[in-house]
Amino acid sequence: MTVDLTQFHDAFFEESFEALDAMEAALLKLDVGSPEPELINTIFRVAHSIKGGSATFGFSEIASFTHSLETLLDELRSGTMAVTVALSDLLLKSVDVLRAMLRAVQAKQPIDAQRVSDLQFDLEVAIAKKSEPAATPAMEPMAPGPAAHDHTGTPPAIAPRWRIHFRPYRELLARGNDPLRMLRELAALGELAVRVDAQALPPLTDLNPPDCYLAWSLELPGEVAEEATRQVFEWAEGDCDLTIERLQAATPQPAPPPPLAVVAPAPRQEAPAKPEAAMSGLGDSGSIRVSVEKIDELMNTVGELVITQAMLSQLGSHFDGPEAEKLRAGLGQLERNMRELQESVMRVRMLPISFVFSRFPRMVRDLAQRLGKRIELKLTGEQTELDKTVLEKIGDPLVHLVRNCIDHGIESPEARAGAGKPAEGTVHLDACHRGGNIAVEVSDDGGGLDKERILAKARARGLVGASDSLTDSEIHELIFLPGFSTAEKTTDVSGRGVGMDVVRRNVKELGGKVELKSEPGRGSRFTITLPLTLAIVDGQSVAVGTETYIVPLISIVESMQLKATGITRLSGHSEVLSFRGDYLPIIRLHELFGVEPRSRALHEGLVVIAEGDGRRVGLFVDDLLGQQQVVIKSLETNYGHIEGVSGATILGDGSVALILDVPGLIRAASMRVAA
Amino acid sequence: MKTRKQQKPVRKRADPRPAKRRSTRRRPAAARAQGRQAAALTLAAECTVAEAESLKTGLTRLVEEVTPVTLNVGALQRIDTAGLQLLAAFVRDRRAAARAVEWRGRAPALDAAADLLGLRGMLELPAEED
Repeated sequence: MTVDLTQFHDAFFEESFEALDAMEAALLKLDVGSPEPELINTIFRVAHSIKGGSATFGFSEIASFTHSLETLLDELRSGTMAVTVALSDLLLKSVDVLRAMLRAVQAKQPIDAQRVSDLQFDLEVAIAKKSEPAATPAMEPMAPGPAAHDHTGTPPAIAPRWRIHFRPYRELLARGNDPLRMLRELAALGELAVRVDAQALPPLTDLNPPDCYLAWSLELPGEVAEEATRQVFEWAEGDCDLTIERLQAATPQPAPPPPLAVVAPAPRQEAPAKPEAAMSGLGDSGSIRVSVEKIDELMNTVGELVITQAMLSQLGSHFDGPEAEKLRAGLGQLERNMRELQESVMRVRMLPISFVFSRFPRMVRDLAQRLGKRIELKLTGEQTELDKTVLEKIGDPLVHLVRNCIDHGIESPEARAGAGKPAEGTVHLDACHRGGNIAVEVSDDGGGLDKERILAKARARGLVGASDSLTDSEIHELIFLPGFSTAEKTTDVSGRGVGMDVVRRNVKELGGKVELKSEPGRGSRFTITLPLTLAIVDGQSVAVGTETYIVPLISIVESMQLKATGITRLSGHSEVLSFRGDYLPIIRLHELFGVEPRSRALHEGLVVIAEGDGRRVGLFVDDLLGQQQVVIKSLETNYGHIEGVSGATILGDGSVALILDVPGLIRAASMRVAA
Repeated sequence: MKTRKQQKPVRKRADPRPAKRRSTRRRPAAARAQGRQAAALTLAAECTVAEAESLKTGLTRLVEEVTPVTLNVGALQRIDTAGLQLLAAFVRDRRAAARAVEWRGRAPALDAAADLLGLRGMLELPAEED
């Protein structure tokens, strides 16, 4: 029975990566000195299942590495080794290496063998260090061998013992292995306590004689070498589930402890699925994995349905008479159901932001260590859900913001003490829903932005005139300019990777915005506002001539009717309007898109005040039509990129409406003015 | 080989029901041959995975036998997990139906194997005496 195992690879990788995340999180929670046993168990289970899976699939390097890791973890679990800072660093590094190995194998790339063997060596050194002082005296009193087979008394009360769980697969006997022989060999190593689990033994008439239905829970004295124990099972490897664990201060009697919680073993025919089954203990069992494409397809179909429904609704409004009433009631029902369906499908794509947040504890810990700062990371609102695509793209900007907070924001412990602050700085990551958007905040209680230095730098680079005075928010805007950095020295933290301009650009690409508030001496707060999904946008439809455009609600400040007196004509073609003490340029959409408007007189139409890139403009339109959620169809894929347009949608009457990209619109308009 | 038949009344659990001497329909020939005494099976010298099928056949014939069944192990030389597993299922199934199993003869191989696999209790083997 040859089974193509490659079909399980993807699931294995996916689950292994998830498991590693869990392991990393557990490692970070591990208290030096008094580790919580459950955390160590979690960590151990991860290493164990990755080892099992990789051995099954023939990823021998990973299996070998996880074996060393598992041995070390086993020492921690049994309490023979203490959790130290150095050890926890070593384990975190192992997580990194494992991740890299898995990635390499997944991409069918060579594994960085040097890095792996270096770390594996370190792991083995750590194991060896422990066993030298502890194991030697313990070995003396009892040499393993048949002599140890002694029925006279119970072992000493405190003696550690090996607990072996041995659950043969059905086919073990047919493959020529006999548990009886193995147990006999074990008994020769030391006094063996045996407890059989015959729960799976079927009625005699149903029993298939060559199948093995029994399982055993065994205990051996702790003096027996683990290697010798493992050797007994060497030939049965792959034909059984085997765990060998060290029990500290076991019960003095080898008598059976409380009965095993026996789970009826699953039928053996699903043997190839075993690695997943082993892994499933890590994740929640109440879920299934569905590929993103399938969900996108579903989403797309729902989008089409929404359009059809809108079309029908529009058509329905044209009818009259008693039947039409029923039709409209039905259409109303359809609309409600559509909305529910749409929301449900969208929710399928939603994941909690903890998927992104989870990488930060490790990062903050490492960075703080490297920069000699003391930092507490606070995470809140981790359960806030957002679209998977948004989630994937928000990671890098957040990393950069957090790095910035740690590098530039939080002061050194001495400086903080001098300023009367606690030596430990706080970086706070928070996520919450606000309206139809999600807001992610990164804040710190550090020194805040140094306005003087930013201004000096901007002046030095000629970005700001020597005599210009800027408001606080204008100064804050400076840091979002490409290539702007006030860091006096480039560290490996802030000197590489994306700058603040890239943060803003990435967020903007997602249809979101970044805002900054900073108070000298008190810290700064970056707020990223993002749409919940990229597939649907809340929009205001506006009419320009016969065309309809959609302005994303997130960009709209307000809409107003202009009085002829509120408009100032500047030299050239440009016009500005006075808005709350500010002058905003007016963009005539009909001019930009070459459409014949209903009216060219500004006071006869409406102006939508929109904001993008920290700039506000007035968009001149004929009329406001209504607010609606629209399904975004990519213009790039179906046509090509147009500056100022982020996509298109199909309206209820079947016509296409362009969705405006306000920042792009501002850029396009200013280019026209410049030309 | 069956000389010790009479000298082992020890475990003769009185069956509340009278032995159905007449109804021999479901009783195998071997049992019938033993007359009014309990049905019995003599285990072969080898009871390993290779012989497991035939052992199962023999045991299956007796599993629903209402009178106590005697398993004669005097000739048993070698037994493995497959053989023990069958015996364990047999004894358990009969016990569940309140039907007795008696062991006759001694087989050190069986005792040792049952101890190692932790099956002595389940097999209701008499304690090792002497």
